[in-house]
Amino acid sequence: MPLGNNSICMAKKQNRVLPGFRWTLGYTLLYLSLIVLIPLAATFVKSSELTWAEFSHTVFSPPALAAYRLSFGASFFAAVVNAVFGFIVAWVLVRYDFFGKRIVDALVDLPFALPTAVAGITLATLYAPNGWIGAWLAPLGIKVSYTQLGIFIALTFIGLPFIVRTVQPVLADLDSELEEAATSLGANRWQTFWRVILPMLSPALLTGFALAFARALGEYGSVVFISSNIPMKTQIVPLLIMSELDGFQYAKATALAVVMLVISFLLLLAVNLLQWWSNRYNTTNLA
Amino acid sequence: MSVEVKNITKKFGDFTALDQVNLKVESGELVALLGPSGSGKTTLLRVIAGLEFPDSGAAQVLFYGEDVTAIPASQRKAGFAFQHYALFRHLNVFENIAFGLRVRPKATRPGEEQIRARVGELLKLNQLEPLAKRFPSQLSGGQRQRVALARALAVEPKVLLLDEPFGAVDAKVRKELRRWLRKLHEEIHITTLFVTHDQEEALEVADRVAILRDGRIEQIGTPEEIYDNPASPFVYDFLGNVNLFSGRVREGTVIIGETEFAVEETAGETDTDAVAFVRPHDIRITREANGQKTFPARILRCNGAGPLANLELERLDNGGLFAAQLSKEEFQQLQPKAGEQVFVELKNVKIFSEDFSI
Repeated sequence: MPLGNNSICMAKKQNRVLPGFRWTLGYTLLYLSLIVLIPLAATFVKSSELTWAEFSHTVFSPPALAAYRLSFGASFFAAVVNAVFGFIVAWVLVRYDFFGKRIVDALVDLPFALPTAVAGITLATLYAPNGWIGAWLAPLGIKVSYTQLGIFIALTFIGLPFIVRTVQPVLADLDSELEEAATSLGANRWQTFWRVILPMLSPALLTGFALAFARALGEYGSVVFISSNIPMKTQIVPLLIMSELDGFQYAKATALAVVMLVISFLLLLAVNLLQWWSNRYNTTNLA
Repeated sequence: MSVEVKNITKKFGDFTALDQVNLKVESGELVALLGPSGSGKTTLLRVIAGLEFPDSGAAQVLFYGEDVTAIPASQRKAGFAFQHYALFRHLNVFENIAFGLRVRPKATRPGEEQIRARVGELLKLNQLEPLAKRFPSQLSGGQRQRVALARALAVEPKVLLLDEPFGAVDAKVRKELRRWLRKLHEEIHITTLFVTHDQEEALEVADRVAILRDGRIEQIGTPEEIYDNPASPFVYDFLGNVNLFSGRVREGTVIIGETEFAVEETAGETDTDAVAFVRPHDIRITREANGQKTFPARILRCNGAGPLANLELERLDNGGLFAAQLSKEEFQQLQPKAGEQVFVELKNVKIFSEDFSI
């Protein structure tokens, strides 16, 4: 709460070093309206062409329910896995010096830059039963390409940079004296990590998690190629929407999009609240 | 019974931070490590805490006879307060102080009740009770320093190590903290070492002061001992303002210009060029020449603000500049004016035989 109060006070104050509150706020609202709010509102308007019965029939159909489960489930697990392994990558990049560090650092950004279709095709080929990696997994009875596991791997691939790039700068700024303080108070390495380092990084980690999760929810390009896209089995929501569009069912497609939007918004809001809570100690209101 | 270090050498690349340092701190003593930046005082403190390890094999750190040289910081039981506090931002004051108790191995970890009692005690001792629920970002510098100290004390350390404990607060709070540290030390009598670059702080707070220079201990003693009998020009200069007068040493006197001043020790030097050291408050200024005891000088500037008046003067014979300090009374009696010619008498003149550079 104190934070909110502060920002309101600041906005009301006219005698600031850099004026321009009206301009910047006006621009912000215009920009957000044009780029985000109006297109999203259009989605809601379009979906309202359906009657309630049609709407519920579309969004609660068994293929739709299965697609929600898959989309949110795979995205969530991909983000969780990224949170763990992305954290380790960030840790290694910040804490150690080794030959080729710069190259590894640059590699992390590749999933950002690569067209997702390329990633999907590459992953599908590698993990296919006759691919380089798939060939090793096939004898173990593990199929990756064209299964839900493949979707999960594609989503993990595209989400990695978000965790690494949000955690890395915060970890680099972490004062080494904090660890020394914990050590001199008798904490072992494990305790220092769990009780000091991780809590300090959790806001950044949660931001990275939310970004990776959101990115995975909207991912389309790579999943189309690595998934077999069978309804009820390996069909994610964006694909379901595409197939409705292919059948010229625009209202139905937007209805699915609306459900997706609402759930995504609620989940991201929850993550934001969690992040705000984990960062609650960062208030600077001196009594 | 003491905390002792022997033959400590520590190099960072080409830089020698500590060079064969030996130091013994008696149980319950409050010792200041005083020196300019880069003199190795913080490194010495970190070596004692186990946050830094000495280079040579002969090095030893002893806590009450027990060799802890190879024991890691987490098991040394040395309480360390960092210059910038290093408080855990995500924990409130209570949990910061409780940290050392909560991370103990299960067998020796106190119960929740005991932790509450112990932390409560420390909050009271450090006058932090109303702040128990606050986060470090909501505290002032002085309060943070006290939390850092309480946190270090919570683990019942064998020795308390404070790195520039008054370094990051403003002048007024600094004075309060000094007095408070002295009082705290009288109450709990824990063996304490603190690092400072402020000679006034060291002389006021510590039982003994160790002066470091370039990784070596230059002199160690009580504040009076080192102030009255500095072992070297460096120590003399470091402990306060100083005037240098070039002259000649001859049989228990030093001749400055044409005036002879008595010297306590001439360190065996006879009839050689020498530099005499005189503190500004050991300079007396008169309007009339007093025979062979004074030499003439001109006042360049007077500043009567504050408890002591500061004068800047110039020798008439060779133009050498020096400073004098007068008490308020003396200043009002004399009423010196800039540009005026006066006579100067020197007291407590010191001569160092080694090198004259500071």
